[in-house]
Amino acid sequence: MDIELSEILDTLCEYAPFADLKEEPILQDMVKDIEIQYLRAGGWAIAPGEKNETLFFIRSGAIESTSKSGKLLQRMHEGDVFGSSSLLRGGKSSHTMRALEDTLLYRIPARWFIQFYNEFDAFSDFFELSREIRLKTAMDSQSSDLSLMTCPIHSLLRRPPISADHNVDIKTAANIMSEERVSSLLITNGDKVVGILTDRDLRNRVVAKGLPLDTGVDQVMTHDPISVDAGDFASEAVLKMMATNIHHLPVLKKGRPVGVISTGDLVQRESHGSVYVISDIYKQEDIDGLVQISQKMTHTFTQLISADANTQMIGNALSHIGVAFVKRLLQLGEQKLGPPPVSYCFLALGSQAREEQTITTDQDNAIILNDRYNDAEHGDYFRELSEFVCYNLDKCGYPLCTGDIMAMNPKWRMTLSQWKQQFSDWIQKPKAEALLNLSIFFDLRGVYGNKTLAKQLNRHIIEQAKDHKGFLSALARNANQRTPPLGFFRQFVLDGEGKQSRTFNLKSRGIAPINDLVRVHALALGSNKLNTFERLEDIEEAGVMPDGRARDLILALEMISMVRIKNQKAQIENGEEPNNNVNPETLSAFEKRHLRDAFNIVARQQEFLKYRYPGKGS
Amino acid sequence: MTKTTDQIDDWQITFEKLAEEVNTPILRSFYQAGVAGLRIPLRDAPMVALDIETTGLDPNGDDIISIGLVEFSLDRIPLNAAQYWLAKPHGPLTAESVTIHEITHDEIKDAPRLSSFLDEVLTAIAGKIVVVHCAAIERPFLNQAAEKLYGEPLIFPIIDTMALEAEIIHKPWWKRFGRQPSIRLDSCRQRYHLPRYRAHQALIDAISCAELFQAQAAHHYDHDKLTQDFCC
Repeated sequence: MDIELSEILDTLCEYAPFADLKEEPILQDMVKDIEIQYLRAGGWAIAPGEKNETLFFIRSGAIESTSKSGKLLQRMHEGDVFGSSSLLRGGKSSHTMRALEDTLLYRIPARWFIQFYNEFDAFSDFFELSREIRLKTAMDSQSSDLSLMTCPIHSLLRRPPISADHNVDIKTAANIMSEERVSSLLITNGDKVVGILTDRDLRNRVVAKGLPLDTGVDQVMTHDPISVDAGDFASEAVLKMMATNIHHLPVLKKGRPVGVISTGDLVQRESHGSVYVISDIYKQEDIDGLVQISQKMTHTFTQLISADANTQMIGNALSHIGVAFVKRLLQLGEQKLGPPPVSYCFLALGSQAREEQTITTDQDNAIILNDRYNDAEHGDYFRELSEFVCYNLDKCGYPLCTGDIMAMNPKWRMTLSQWKQQFSDWIQKPKAEALLNLSIFFDLRGVYGNKTLAKQLNRHIIEQAKDHKGFLSALARNANQRTPPLGFFRQFVLDGEGKQSRTFNLKSRGIAPINDLVRVHALALGSNKLNTFERLEDIEEAGVMPDGRARDLILALEMISMVRIKNQKAQIENGEEPNNNVNPETLSAFEKRHLRDAFNIVARQQEFLKYRYPGKGS
Repeated sequence: MTKTTDQIDDWQITFEKLAEEVNTPILRSFYQAGVAGLRIPLRDAPMVALDIETTGLDPNGDDIISIGLVEFSLDRIPLNAAQYWLAKPHGPLTAESVTIHEITHDEIKDAPRLSSFLDEVLTAIAGKIVVVHCAAIERPFLNQAAEKLYGEPLIFPIIDTMALEAEIIHKPWWKRFGRQPSIRLDSCRQRYHLPRYRAHQALIDAISCAELFQAQAAHHYDHDKLTQDFCC
């Protein structure tokens, strides 16, 4: 090419989608067909009603896009391209484009756009009209093949399983383990796994108890152990180990054992310290020990991110860890105060209940008491127990809830009947404003004690909620109070009214709106799921949203959550306290573009919510 | 900026006179193409932005080593109407000038002489209004080139974006404070929020100059005014 236009070519190639075409000689021919145009601020690039025959590249300045009705749609700046959607619709433009500042445009004739669109996948992907497909492509391009999420368990197995019949004695079993140098032995009956025996079992259940060596292995093994399927992702195994605090899982293929996977296998695979954190928590005998572990939590968190765990998995891991702290504190509390005078269930609320906790979550919890509870007799015990748990959780990095939604608030220690009555009141006589602070109670999970109490309460909520339209529409109205931003403009966040701000909160403007709107649908269809992704699966199955929309929300949630955890990781690495505030200056062009798509998806589903659950005043 | 009708008539008369007088066919066609562009509104004027790089500042002693030009109008600069030539100078390149235009001896040792393509340049600008930044360079160098090659003069009306900018930012002395703002191409462009280009490549500078004139016109001028009002 004539090197003399290389300055213009080089500039184009600094930006997507031209960067992907850098090596294509034909791009040089295109550059020769560019027309340059200067627009003073206020000048039209595409005037109302004008037919568009150009793909525009903003060389300098800024362009504002407005809908026919005058609604602000987007602001674009140096390096952005526009005009593509009207070109793909044969030149009919539904938006107007106007210079917001003095602007220099490179105008690329439509025929080049059409040619590149047809020839180069990278180019057409960039201009994909559907933001859902754009987001999907983007997310796919981000996931790495090496992550635990996408690596099937059978790929981690190093040898066939070592097993023994259930009739052997423990000496025989121990000999097999020594010879084979394994720390666990599958116990079989025919080709079925009926139990598992580990080094730890031999220590704790045999030696420590002084059992004779001819004791049958089925006396000391763990019966019907929790297992995983060979085709599952390795992350499933990690989660099961964390949830149950066990270190060996039989791996089955069509019901037959094909191996055993241990924490060691996973740790070797990726430094998955999080599996060990939980067993460490249960080993602690005092608060100081727990506090020490909690100080390593940011490390565990960044490790998970570095290991390429996706946001669902991180949320899940952090929730299990959070729950482990709660459980251990309750155990220690019961040791100190004696066994509980009546049965109770300790509840996790909000993100911990949804298993979507992040590194910066304050505690939200409550207690359900058995109906035999009597305030005069038992009040002191539960006051002391809950204060012990809440204050110490605070020491362990789960700050006290500013809204006072905690078990140590006597208001949120009620008997099952009182709780049921409370929920009936909220549901049957909904007051939108009051409900605003209470939505957290509708994500409720029993984590310790008599979990039947929590199950009964959840069943009550599910039965009540789905039949009360007024309640659902109040909840829907609340869900629409926090809206996502329109997009980004330079280093700013852009809102619908053209307002620009320096930072924004990814939780309240992105993640919470999704959680809120998904909760409304989930309650409406009587789903018993709490996790937002699982709720969305139920919603999709039930067909509450138009086809594919639930999938879109999953993508949007994953995208926004990913940016949030990466931002938090960066904050930690900079020695800052991680939070949910994001400064757009720290976002990549890729992130900005796809966050904008995600926000759009959320905004559209908020609109749908209004229509689906109409109510007075909405 | 007002020009007396005399000056315009001067250009008209000069071109008619030279069209009769010159013997070189290419120069004769150039003058015959005339200066009709001066009498039409700016918005319709056919313009060509032009820039040259030289071995130094003396039109008598130094040589042109590259020429870039692009036809344009007030709302479009089509790059497929851009042209660029490198010329082999008679004297050696001085280190000083190389640092400005970044054209090295290697690049031009096989380039043609200016004489072999000056005709093409004249064809490209004939009948159009030439726009340059700093006419005091382009005007004498091009004239000198024609004198050397044809033994006859090359003169034409020019829109000088530098002179226009000087007028735009001019303040009477009692309003001046501190240093006068720069009217170098790059500084002018910044005032209109135009991007920064790698300076001193003749074609990019010609494009820069065209963009600058679009910007000046967008901010300061009535596009219905006649082109002659902006020429010198």
